[in-house]
Amino acid sequence: MTEPVRFLGRQTRLQSSPIGAVGKIDPLALTAMQQTGTMMPQQTGRGSQRFLQGGLSAPITITWEITAACNIACVHCLSSSGRRRPRELTTQQSLALVDEFADMQVFQLHFGGGEPFIYPGIWQVLERCTERGLVMCVSTNGTLITPERARRLKQYDPLYFQVSLDGGTAATNDSIRGKGVFTRALRGLELLAAEEHSLTVNSVLTRHSFTELDRLYDIAASFNAKLRVTRLRPSGRGQDVWGDLHPTREQYREFTAWLSAHPDVLTADSFFHLNAFGNKLPGLDVCGAATATCCICPEGEVYPCAFFQAPEFEAGNLHDNTFKDIWRNSSLFSFYRNMGGGACSGCGQYGACHGGCPATKWFVHRSLQIKDPECVLA
Amino acid sequence: MSQFPVNYRLISEVKIRRETFGGILYKYGCADRGALSFINSPQLIELLIAGQQQHAGNLSAAIESHNYSFASKRKLYAALDDLVKRGYVLQHVEG
Repeated sequence: MTEPVRFLGRQTRLQSSPIGAVGKIDPLALTAMQQTGTMMPQQTGRGSQRFLQGGLSAPITITWEITAACNIACVHCLSSSGRRRPRELTTQQSLALVDEFADMQVFQLHFGGGEPFIYPGIWQVLERCTERGLVMCVSTNGTLITPERARRLKQYDPLYFQVSLDGGTAATNDSIRGKGVFTRALRGLELLAAEEHSLTVNSVLTRHSFTELDRLYDIAASFNAKLRVTRLRPSGRGQDVWGDLHPTREQYREFTAWLSAHPDVLTADSFFHLNAFGNKLPGLDVCGAATATCCICPEGEVYPCAFFQAPEFEAGNLHDNTFKDIWRNSSLFSFYRNMGGGACSGCGQYGACHGGCPATKWFVHRSLQIKDPECVLA
Repeated sequence: MSQFPVNYRLISEVKIRRETFGGILYKYGCADRGALSFINSPQLIELLIAGQQQHAGNLSAAIESHNYSFASKRKLYAALDDLVKRGYVLQHVEG
């Protein structure tokens, strides 16, 4: 049941490689990481960072974009999803990967895409996760949920769902996610709630949805769901709209106050850059990319996180190496885990935000040494 | 340190993983808030694993089955009190 993942085209690299021996680093990525300087000695790291700096034996959670196929086309899609890609992992490959995750004691898998329910093997993959005791989260647009599917999903456990709504009104949501999607997503939520699934409403914060946070909160509550608000990243198609949609600094300031007043709202620890306002938000205070988490894309590409799907930051590919080998021995991850603070090193608030989101820096300015483009101290 | 007869029981949903610094506790919920703790005590991690695997979650039994010194026991019970507050361990008085 737990034999190594054997993917097509890979015959000879099943043995573990020395650290740093997996994959070559793109020169652009290498230069960018080197320019950030040297990381502080481990002893001086603060909070969660001191545990993450050395690299964990396995990720805590993995975002697995299991297919690029999607039945809607969000303007900010971080993986530019739409059509299925030619080298997407087969169901057998995916099942072997689940076994590898279980053997490594990965705690949680977060299925995204694309729309996971379009992936032909999704039911078998969920079943295998249940057998192997992996916690599952499925991030879905909700539009493909039927009464039968909502019922069938009850057999998989532990499983919870994130249904995306990027606005509290049809006008705001559908301007991002497509015409009619708001109504269809609400129907999906209704069907999942009727079967008493564990639910969150996932909403990417934009300058337009900011004014609808209370409404989103109420919508989530009406389905006995929690609201989960996450940060807009300029990756994928998000690069084209980030300038127009990302919240203003004043909105972020009000948002931190709103979060304080709504402690039950989840944030996926994605707003730690707002700690520089002076009030630490709950959760991780540092980027978990390549340390606590990573992202697997449909064709087997492994990236530091879901927001950093840049070809030059590919740590390895599951068609060529095992996941364990990539996680523990990839050159890119090795460098990535030891990046310094760059321009933020001397900032008095560095200990609060740790320089913010590397992916946002890269996609906006093609640099990792600069401060986060949404730095609230700018 | 709690006084006897107090029983400590690991919640069944808690997952434990060894790491070089000690280990990680993860409780099902989600990757967002309050479900994850880094524990920098290998001794505590080993106790929790022993309790989970050999004593059906009964951590008091795991402690008492080992030859811990009084000082170590005291430390471990104090750590369990902290894990009670963080929601990984249940504490109940035996009646």
